[in-house]
Amino acid sequence: MSDLRDHDQPESEDEEDFNPAPADVSDDEVQNEDEDDAPKRSKKASPARHGGDDEDEDEDADGDGDGDGDVGGGHDDDDDEEDDEEDDEEDEEIQGHRRKRRRDKRNAFFDIEAEVDDEDEGEDDEEAAEENEGFIEQEEPGDYGEASRLDDDRRHRELDRQRDAITQEDLEREAQGYVRKYGNRRPARGMGDTGVVPQRLLLPSVDDPSIWGVRCKEGKEREVVFSITKRIHDKLGTKDELGITAAFERGGPNSVMKGLIYVEAYRQTDILAALDGMLNVYPRNKLLLVDIKEMPDLLRVQKTPTLEPGAWVRLRRPVKHAGDLAQVLDITENGLDARVRFIPRLDYGLRDDALAMTQDGKRKRPVAGPRPPQKLFSEVEARKRHPRNLTGNPQTNNWTFNGDEFEKGFQVKDIKIQHLIVKDVNPSLEEVTKFTSGGEDGVENIDLKSLAASLKDSSANVTYLPGDVVEVYQGEQKGVIGRATNVQADIVTLEVTEGDLVGQTIEVPTKGLRKRFRTGDHVKVIGGSRYRDEVGMVVKISEDRVTLLTDQTTTEITVFSKDLREASDIGGQGSLGQYSLLDLVQLDPTTVGCIVKVDRESLVVLDQNGEPRQVMPSQIANKLPKRKLAVAADRNGSEIRPDDVVKEYGGMGRQGKIIHIHRTYVFCHTTATTENAGIFVSKVSSVSTISAKGGRVNATVSGPDLNTMNPAKKLNPTGGRGDMPPPKVTFGRDKLLGQTVTIRKGGWKGLLGRVKDTTDTHARVELHTKSKIISVPKTDLMVRDGYSGREIKNYDNRRPGGPNGTPARPSQDRATSDWPSGSRTPMAAPSSRTPAWKTPSAAGGGRTPAWNKGGDGGRTPAWAEGSRTVNPYDGSRTAYGSGSRTPAWSSGAKTPAPDHFGSKTPAYSGSSGDAWGSKTPYGASAATPGASGNDTWGYTPGASGSSNAYDAPTPGAGLLGAPTPGALNAPTPGAYNAPTPGAMNAPTPGGGWQGGWGADSAPTPAAAAPTPAASGFASSSGYYGAPTPGAYNAETPAAGPRYTDDD
Amino acid sequence: MADNFVPPGQQRYTRACMVCSIVMTQARFRSEGCPNCPFLDLKGSPEAIESCTSGVYEGLMTIADPKKSWVAKWQRIDGFVQGVYAMKVSGSLPEDVKAAMEDEGHVYIPRDGSAVEQD
Repeated sequence: MSDLRDHDQPESEDEEDFNPAPADVSDDEVQNEDEDDAPKRSKKASPARHGGDDEDEDEDADGDGDGDGDVGGGHDDDDDEEDDEEDDEEDEEIQGHRRKRRRDKRNAFFDIEAEVDDEDEGEDDEEAAEENEGFIEQEEPGDYGEASRLDDDRRHRELDRQRDAITQEDLEREAQGYVRKYGNRRPARGMGDTGVVPQRLLLPSVDDPSIWGVRCKEGKEREVVFSITKRIHDKLGTKDELGITAAFERGGPNSVMKGLIYVEAYRQTDILAALDGMLNVYPRNKLLLVDIKEMPDLLRVQKTPTLEPGAWVRLRRPVKHAGDLAQVLDITENGLDARVRFIPRLDYGLRDDALAMTQDGKRKRPVAGPRPPQKLFSEVEARKRHPRNLTGNPQTNNWTFNGDEFEKGFQVKDIKIQHLIVKDVNPSLEEVTKFTSGGEDGVENIDLKSLAASLKDSSANVTYLPGDVVEVYQGEQKGVIGRATNVQADIVTLEVTEGDLVGQTIEVPTKGLRKRFRTGDHVKVIGGSRYRDEVGMVVKISEDRVTLLTDQTTTEITVFSKDLREASDIGGQGSLGQYSLLDLVQLDPTTVGCIVKVDRESLVVLDQNGEPRQVMPSQIANKLPKRKLAVAADRNGSEIRPDDVVKEYGGMGRQGKIIHIHRTYVFCHTTATTENAGIFVSKVSSVSTISAKGGRVNATVSGPDLNTMNPAKKLNPTGGRGDMPPPKVTFGRDKLLGQTVTIRKGGWKGLLGRVKDTTDTHARVELHTKSKIISVPKTDLMVRDGYSGREIKNYDNRRPGGPNGTPARPSQDRATSDWPSGSRTPMAAPSSRTPAWKTPSAAGGGRTPAWNKGGDGGRTPAWAEGSRTVNPYDGSRTAYGSGSRTPAWSSGAKTPAPDHFGSKTPAYSGSSGDAWGSKTPYGASAATPGASGNDTWGYTPGASGSSNAYDAPTPGAGLLGAPTPGALNAPTPGAYNAPTPGAMNAPTPGGGWQGGWGADSAPTPAAAAPTPAASGFASSSGYYGAPTPGAYNAETPAAGPRYTDDD
Repeated sequence: MADNFVPPGQQRYTRACMVCSIVMTQARFRSEGCPNCPFLDLKGSPEAIESCTSGVYEGLMTIADPKKSWVAKWQRIDGFVQGVYAMKVSGSLPEDVKAAMEDEGHVYIPRDGSAVEQD
């Protein structure tokens, strides 16, 4: 206690202002009687005393001062007795008492009056003035004379009074101002208290009423609130006044609080009473008590983002334009209406007629039909239909049509902001370009800034992935940099990688996050901007705008960091829809092109004329499938295929790898230039092969013809007989491709596989046993039948251009191997044909020489013969098969109609009239048995088939081209005219045949040889009868697909 | 006190005062003015009503007892008359009206949600 007292001693001066002690003394004398009551009263008032209430203070002090020793103890007792309010207060009290008491003693003889005056004045200014006076009074006497002193004093007082008056006036005026400003608020509006109090001090307490959520019908929230209003009003002042204090709704189409109203009341029963029997609200259902902490959230309002002119919005109204993009032109001052422009959807009254039909005065509601497409306003169209409704100025291009305003083609309208969708607008570039392309000068002036603002607003499409380096740019953890480890909804968990918090894991809402990149990072644009899918290197970062240098075009683009991702891939986007880079596409019926660049919404296509074109995917007719087997001949006549390296002859001399061959155009890729992604286009006739894929030997070996330089050859021009045959010339598809083979040697010996690719010497075989492709010398392969697994011998021989020149198909061989019995022949025929169709090129190969070189006809029979020779036919049949009727027979036996014609064709073309003569009987003979077969063989269907077959091939033959009609014309009459006699004199045709072939040196003997066999034919004509119909039957339908296939 | 009830058919004509957020029909604003903001002089002045009240508001609430209700206190409408108020009134008061209010010593509390964000 004593310490405190001592300590307090110096402070007494300060205290004096508040608790002037001398007053106590004066009161002390006056109120001596009250000494007993005083302490009690003082105790009661003690809390208030600290507010500076002088009277209490006085009383309190005088009581204490009086009964010094005794009352001191009593006072303490009193304190104890008293309500145990606050101990500190008590302490202070005691101190105060002691202090005052002592001071009392000390000041007992001081001028009390003055101090009392001082007390009364109260006003600081005056007090100060008084003190001044005192000073002057005290000090002046020694300095001046009496009169002058008084005068001076008077003047001073006057001055002071004046000053005081002025101050007083000022204060009064000021006070009046305050009164005027704030004084009327309390009575008039009563908001003085809370209006200035920060909202956080208004947080609900337990004393406030609670809030319950009550279910109500969705969309009827406001009605319910008004109903409650009505009920409150009705019951006001009655005995069953409602106990609720407030009710509110937070409904709205997008609110999560729709279907609920909230009622504030002290008791739940008040709510039930208030809402009982009310429509659309269901208080009987569970009432949801709102937690006191959540109450402020319930009333939280968010400011609607303010629209800026130029911003993009979407329309809700007019309904016709719902969802359309619009641009804000202007906003009214109160921010409730916006003037927007958008592309009108006008039908210029096309559907007005339907509306006008209702004559009964009622306006028919416009039927919800398909809304007209977006199209800029056309004055011409409008004038056509409703010239009267159109007013405007062609100079400014501003029009009014049917009450709507149009400026430069756009419709302009004032729309309430509640009918605009402001958030998540996401205008696509396509939409935006529609707005900009309206400029007459054709200059595109997209306001990227406003576009960016619109895009930026939509934070919905910001995606963070684990691994992204992010930076917190707002909130408490601003500046923290870390790597995202987990992303859940809009909370990103990140591990801090820099700064003080290194190693800690914190969770941050995506709102305050942005991706962080460093200069030099390789990034990819992932969305949001028109540069989507561009890949490039970061060159500059400012805030959240990142400038990067794209890989593909090496131009600088600036995007928001939220639209970027660190990229592991290089290059750029590969595809747009179904089109990807380097695809061959059809632009129009006569133009093809190769895609050399894929943009976000367009493609750059290098067309066949070498012109790069920018096209939209919709402008592309279709995509041409890549044809691996496309073949063309270069300027040297060498075969070129995709993946071959060719060089332009003349021109720019560019060299590149073929990626597409289309008709006479070849698209090549070169690494020498990046222009058009290194793609150039050339004519096949102006390129020459540099290297063929897989070391293929080309027909024309590049380089000088050594034969012509060989002096030995020159000396001996007839030589060459003993020469080795020229290297095999392969053309067309390697027959080994796709064949099932077994490996005869090496580590893979015995394994079965399929040939995927071949070079001249090696084949790449895909093993059946394990998924692997190996390279095997062709000599180590054994070709097997894909179905039966049987070995196909001499496969190599049968390759086109083989030693015996037999262009026979392997499939045919297999078929022949199935032929040992004659009875099965008809069956065999179709089976042999089937593969023939599958390999049209092979079939074509068989036929091709025949067509092309009629004079070569000699080989054709030879071929037929050759193929038959290996067959396990019995001698007689073989002989006769190879007879003059060979082609016919072969056609019959091998059934494929094309073959039939093919084999015949050379005969016709080669042997002209005579040949016809010779064959005519054959045809007759073939027909004849067929005809006879009608009766004898019971092949009625077959026979009829055969006759049909004759009909059928006719059109089929027509398809074959030039020679065919000739063939048809010739044989048909021939066949019918001469059948019977022809059949009789078998040799005659043979002779004719022979004569026909006489022109050719080599084949003639071959043809001659069979001739005798022709007689044999007559005998076994019955045999022929059988196969022939069968053959025709099957072949007729076959012919169709086959030809088309060839085409 | 007048009936604060607005029948559903009339609810589309309601407007909210941008100063005190009270919701009334436009007709009532015109005939009576704003009961809490007499200084706006809305009575009989369609232009003033147009500029000082807004048809776009959210969060309708009816206040039965402005003195006791915490909701009213929170919304700072506890000194106002009983009636229907809005939680958020879109739109902003014209600058001259704002200035006049300040001069007269009225505190303008924006009702469009912009004030809350500052707290």
